[in-house]
This record gives sequence, structure tokens and C-alpha cells, in this order.
Amino acid sequence: MIRLQRVSTVGPWIVVAARVLSVAAALLVGGAAFAVAGYDVPMLAGSVVRGSFDSLFGLEDLGLLFSPLILTGLAAAVALRIGLWNIGGEGQFYAGAIAATLTGLNLHGPTPVMLPLLALAGFAGGAAWVLVPALARAFLAIDEIITTLLLNFVAVLLVNYLCTGPLRDPAQAVTSASARIPYELPPLLDDLHWGLGGSVALVSVMAVLFARTRWGYEVRLSGANRHAARYAGIPVRRRLIQVLLLSGGLAGVAGMLEVVGTVHRLQGGISNNYGYLGIMVAVLAGGVPFAVLPAALLMAVILNAGTVLQAYGVSNYEVLALTGLVLLFTAMGERIAYYRLSRPMRA
Amino acid sequence: MSGAVVELVGITKSFPGLIANDAIDLDLRPGEIHALLGENGAGKSTLMNVLTGIYQPDAGRIFMQGVPVRFASPKDAVAAGIGMVHQHFKLIRAFTVAENVHLGWQDTPFRTSAGLLEGRTRALAERFGLAVRPEARVEDLSAGEQQRVEILRVLARGARVLILDEPTAVLTPGEAAALVRALRGFVALGYAVIFISHKLDEVLEVADRITVLRAGRKVATLPAAECDQARLATLMVGRELGAGQRHSAGKRQLGPIVLQLAGVSANDERGVQALADVDLAVRGGEIVGVAGVAGNGQRELSEVLTGLRPVTEGQVRIGGQIMHHANPAEFLAAGIGHIPEDRLRSGLAPSMNVTDNAVMREYSRPPVTRGGLFSPGAAMTLARHIVADAQVLVPNMRAPVRNLSGGNQQRLVARREMRVAGQALVAVYPTRGLDIGAIDTMLRSIAEMRDRGVGVLLVSEELDELLGIADRVAVLFQGRIMGVFPTAEAEPERIGLLMGGRAEAA
Ligand SMILES: Nc1ncnc2c1ncn2[C@@H]1O[C@H](COP(=O)(O)OP(=O)(O)OP(=O)(O)O)[C@@H](O)[C@H]1O
Ligand SMILES: [Mg+2]
Repeated sequence: MIRLQRVSTVGPWIVVAARVLSVAAALLVGGAAFAVAGYDVPMLAGSVVRGSFDSLFGLEDLGLLFSPLILTGLAAAVALRIGLWNIGGEGQFYAGAIAATLTGLNLHGPTPVMLPLLALAGFAGGAAWVLVPALARAFLAIDEIITTLLLNFVAVLLVNYLCTGPLRDPAQAVTSASARIPYELPPLLDDLHWGLGGSVALVSVMAVLFARTRWGYEVRLSGANRHAARYAGIPVRRRLIQVLLLSGGLAGVAGMLEVVGTVHRLQGGISNNYGYLGIMVAVLAGGVPFAVLPAALLMAVILNAGTVLQAYGVSNYEVLALTGLVLLFTAMGERIAYYRLSRPMRA
Repeated sequence: MSGAVVELVGITKSFPGLIANDAIDLDLRPGEIHALLGENGAGKSTLMNVLTGIYQPDAGRIFMQGVPVRFASPKDAVAAGIGMVHQHFKLIRAFTVAENVHLGWQDTPFRTSAGLLEGRTRALAERFGLAVRPEARVEDLSAGEQQRVEILRVLARGARVLILDEPTAVLTPGEAAALVRALRGFVALGYAVIFISHKLDEVLEVADRITVLRAGRKVATLPAAECDQARLATLMVGRELGAGQRHSAGKRQLGPIVLQLAGVSANDERGVQALADVDLAVRGGEIVGVAGVAGNGQRELSEVLTGLRPVTEGQVRIGGQIMHHANPAEFLAAGIGHIPEDRLRSGLAPSMNVTDNAVMREYSRPPVTRGGLFSPGAAMTLARHIVADAQVLVPNMRAPVRNLSGGNQQRLVARREMRVAGQALVAVYPTRGLDIGAIDTMLRSIAEMRDRGVGVLLVSEELDELLGIADRVAVLFQGRIMGVFPTAEAEPERIGLLMGGRAEAA
């Protein structure tokens, strides 16, 4: 008889392998479900791969999904470093988008000046959106999961109000959206803009911030043991607030890039669930900044697959279910990585 | 050896870079209390973790009543009747005693109510002679009460073998005596106990047989009747230990007052007054001992002195400077080191590595941080230095600190704090969890700090230890200072009375 046994520590490679295998298992199970539902899975898989990687057009689409997922994933990962769950990436994304739109429509200047200003506005918008939850968490110990989540719904309604009311572009007959923002990000490829480069750069900045600065050490220690951090002389409350503001700000920059770089207008639904998917990215990445890149790429491929698959009659919900499976299997894989098979000794 | 309740044969367990258990044999007889002794890092906790299914041995076998068994998880060991109470309690602090006892237990009725669980808990407590309050929340309990809950949890699940890892380290003498009575009752039923401790006198009194480990190997198993402290110490260390010398020095020039409390009152976590009108001063170059039964305000006293707890009344002065805010960073900058009571909760971040933990008090200044930039290389160098100084046994500098043995964690914290204690050191139970050799080293380092002109406030429950090293002794009872004496005038009887709250006749 072979038995399972639990070990207390495993090496980093086992963890990585567990992640990869979990994702593969999720795709297999998802594929099996699709097959049962009557789809020709190998054909679908083939077209997804071709649609994403074979053409410049597909790669561009992938890149446009990749960049906001990096940032919303980074936002959630940053909060995880100090042990907080920022579920409000969605709302902060919108807040950043709103702030960038208002700035872009009302301030005028040369593009090289305006772009950093817009990014700053996006950051400030996202940070402002998380300010109240951050203060409530730090001073009243009110759970940030609930407060950040609830503010998402407020943000969605606010965007809808702005787009159908004060900011509505009368020239647009069908959809309600703001006027076009008169600034653009320089292109990387045709449609793909430099937002992707900026997102990757921000990942590196965060990695350095946590590993190589005093502030980063303080945040890591506060996340690992709040009592010990206080004892070590760290102003834990201040760090909690700062980290949440940084997290919100990153999500806000994602909103700014989306509205300035990709959509060019503020309108409802532009968040494309990036805020929520960012939480999955952060979990897949284990809260590690650099690991956000592969995790966000995976999520982007799945989302992109959704677009491709819609052409074959697969609904968006079925694709979202696939992302859920990936998360579920990753969580299971994380546990299972600590088990070994063993043969019993002969008595 | 079919008479043995449990028999371990050739148990070997290695971790990357070291062998924690090397071919260890051990047999446990029905009706005995079996003590396990050894220096810090000798492998005691590891061996017990193997026996309880937390770790899998690399080699070796386990027999129960002569039948080979294998425990893939703690659940298997519990099912086979082996229960363990760990060095660090694992209760859920927000739950009641009754809830903790029933948590994850297959005998817990499907439909329950608070009343039902409390009734069942009361019946269990009576059956095993362990006084607990079923409706109390664990966070409100003393260490001794929490431990009884842990033991009850284990016994309720039908344990026939009870393992206790340093159970008396956190107990008051009265609580320890009650524990020993409960254990005697348990083994009288034909069950067995394994008992880990560093207190040789206690071991000699409690144990029937004693097994000594050294550096992962078993050195001997002996009947307690054939042992004395010197013999055990020699077995543990592998050489003769000099008699524990007194560390008090002769006449010295005392420095100015470094720590001072004037009329200080403070509350505990629940807002109940824990310190009442405390006046206390420590001068540079002296050691002031604080005697008292645990839970009489020691924790609050040390926290007020290190900036972790605000005062409700009175003044805290460090080197003459009034400290207006309870801010640990300011106290650190003023040169106060603090060996806290509960190292895993407040002194260390168990999931972070040795390096990050070792630099916890010096991270913000050069060489570790320069211009806001944290240098992992410099942190590692400093951490290596601290680890070497304190003779901490570490697998490697990147290992999480929770993988260190209990005594090694304590050494790390103590050395780290001594480095930053330029003015004063507040040391709470600094020898807790240390083996006898390490206790001696620790007391010697504390004496050296005193000789260098640092003021030391030493909180301890070991009266002998206090009287052996302190210049003056203060007695704490229910948050009040009952008296302060030069050590020469402090007879143990008198102090014992004060510790029990008996005020002195004038
Ligand atoms: N999970 C682990 N990973 C790596 N090393 C470990 C692990 N657990 C224990 N060790 C190492 O094994 C050795 C023995 O540790 P153990 O905890 O058994 O000592 P101990 O005898 O209980 O000491 P103490 O009296 O200090 O509690 C130590 O050097 C410790 O660092
Ligand atoms: Mg131990």
C-alpha cells in the first residue's frame, strides 16, 4: 500500500512545479467539460493558440489585456505583502480612469508633459478611492476586504453617471461615453501602446522597493508579524495606510492606461473585470512582484481565448468559469505540494 | 520488548545540512513518566514530532505494544492514542475552552449548542481532574489554564501516551505542581508520559526514567533514582560543567539612573489595571531583579519600560529624559534593549528568515540601511555576526526562524537585544527554554553588560537565579511593588511571602 504523507517545507522549485501542474490540470478539466458540452476541444485549443500567438494582431490583443492585468495584479500583490486583501482594484481602476479623464479633458499642454500628469492623476484617483478603507483599517480595525469591495459598486455607478450625465459626449449617439481624450500613448506596435512597458517597469520598481529599501523591509516585517514589527519600532499603522494607497494607486494607473492608451474615452464597462482578475493574478503569483508577470500573462491568454472562442459560440461565462478553475486548482496545488507518496516499511 | 507502550527503533531524521535525530532508540513503559533531556537543538522536539506524525523519519520504526505503526499525519497518531502538547500552544484564542476542546474532534455531536459543549467539557474536566472553565475565552486564560485546556483536548481524544514539550517553562511553581499531580494520576491508570524539560531538579523529581540526547544522538537512558544533577549535566554536555558561579560583582561605582518609573499605572489589553503606582529606578551598572508570580504585571512593566504600552498615570524616564509617548522606536534610539516574554509572538517573525529576524533592531541604520536603501548583503553579514556571537545553531541564514529550536530562537533574540542596549536592558525570563549551559552563558553576558555600565532589569520566576545575579530585588504582586531590597538582605522566605501578597510588618 502506498500512503500520503505531509512534509513541513518544500523547495521553491516544487512550488513552481505545483503552480504549473495546477494550471495544466485546470485546463485539462476545463477542456473535458467543454468536450462534454459538445465542443471540438482540440480544434478550439488550436484556434486559441493561433489566435493569440500566430499573428501580430493576436499578439497585440494579448498585450492590451496583459498590461492592465499586470498592474491590477501588482496592486493586489503589494497589499498582500503587508497581509491585506485589496478587493477594490476594480473601483480603484475606475477612480484612476475618472481622474485621468477629467485631467485630460480639462488641462491642456504638450503630450510629454501631459502623459506623466495623467499617470499621476490616475495614481491619485486610485489612491483616493482606497483612502477611507485604509484609514478605517488602520484606526478602527475595520476589515478592508468588505470596505474595498463595496466601493467597487460605488465606482461603477459613478462612472455610469458621469458617462450618461456631465461628461457625456453629445456627438456619440449610441453609446454613452465621454469625449475623446486628446492625448495618446506612443505606440509599441500598431495598437499596442507603451503602457505595457510602463507596467513592466512598475513591476521592477516594486520588486526593488520591497527587497532593497528600508521601507520595504518594514512592510515585509509588518506583514509577517504585526506585533514584532511594532516591537522593532516600525510605525505599523502608517505602513498599512501607505501600502494600501500604493496598491490603490497602481490599480488607478491601470485605469489611466486603459482610458488614455486603449479606449481613449471614459465609458462604462472598460474595467473588463481587470480589478477582480488582478486578485487572481496576485494569488497565482503568491504576492511576489516578479511572479505577477507570468501570472498576468496566463490570465491574459485565457481572456484572449475568450474573445477567440466567442467566434465559435462559446460564451464569455464559460471562459470566466475556466479562470475560476485555474484559481481553484492553484489553491489545491499549493496544499498538495506539501504531500509525498511513501511506501510503508516492512514490519 | 512487547511490554513497551511505545518503542522507537533507530529513528533518523535529517534536515538540509544537519541530522536532527541519528538512530535514536527509546522505549516507553506503561505507568512511567519518561523525561527527555538535551541541550538546545539536541533534537528533542524533532523526535517527538516524528512520534506524533508531524515529521516522517528518514529511517527507523515505531512500535506500539509490539505492533509496527506508521503515522502519516498527527491525526493517525491521535487515533493511535498519542497526544502532544507543544512548546507553543495551538489553541484558538477567540474561542471558548469548550469550543477548543471540541474543535476537529469526531466525537463532537453533529448538532451542538454552547451549553451542550460546555457540559461535555465539564464532564471531561472532572474525569481527568483538570480544572478548567468551559465557558471562558482562551485569550483570557493564564498560561497554566491554557495548558490544562491543551492537555484536556489531548486526553479527551483517548490519549494513552501524553507528550509534553517544556510544559513547565511558562508555569508558576503552583501551576507546575498541579500539573505534576495530574500527570501522576494519568500514569497511575497504566498510561505513559514523555516530558521534555531543561530543569534538572524538576526532572529528577517527576521522572521515573530519563533519556538524554546530545547532538541528535541518544547518550543514555537511566532510572531517575540513579541520577543526580551533575551526572545528567555531564551526559548532556559531554563534559563536566563547572558549578554555576554567582555572577554578582563586588563594590562598583554605580552610574546615573537609566530607567525610572515614577508613580506609573498602566492597563492590560482588556483595559483592566495591571500596574498600580509603581516607583522603580535602575542605575547604570546594576541589575535589578523583579521577583513575582507570573501574571502579576511583569509583562506590562516591561512593556511600559520599552515603549510598547502607554501609561495611564505617572512618568517614564530614560536616562533622565521624560518619555512622553509609548513609541518603541524612541526607546530603541535611547538605547533600550528588550528581551520579550513571548519571543514567537512579539520578538520574532517566525515565517521570515534568520537574517531578517537578526537585523530587526538595527535595520534602519548603517551598514544595513544607507540613504533609505536596505542592503541584503550587509544585513546578512550583520546577522552572521550575531548568530556566531550567540552560538545560535542555524541550518542556514535563509531558513525561516520557526525552524530553529526553541532555545536557539531565544539565544538569537537575547543577543540581538544586548547589542542595542547601550543604556539599559529589560530582560523578561531571558533563560526560558535554554539548556543549563546556555543559561550560564546568558547570565554571564548579562553580568558583563552590567560591568560595562548598562542598567539591567531582570524579570524572572527563578528566585535562585535572581538572587544569584541581581544587586537589588523588587517584588511585584498584583501590579504593585511590594518592596525593593539589596540582594544581601533578601532572604528567600521573606521574598516568597511578599510574592504571595503578604505585606511586611513595619
Ligand atoms: N523544520 C526544520 N527544518 C530545518 N531544520 C530544523 C527543522 N526543525 C528543527 N530543525 C533543526 O533541528 C535541530 C534540532 O531541533 P529541535 O527543535 O529538535 O531541538 P530541541 O532539542 O527541541 O531544542 P530546544 O531545547 O532548543 O527546544 C535544530 O538545529 C533545528 O534548527
Ligand atoms: Mg524544542
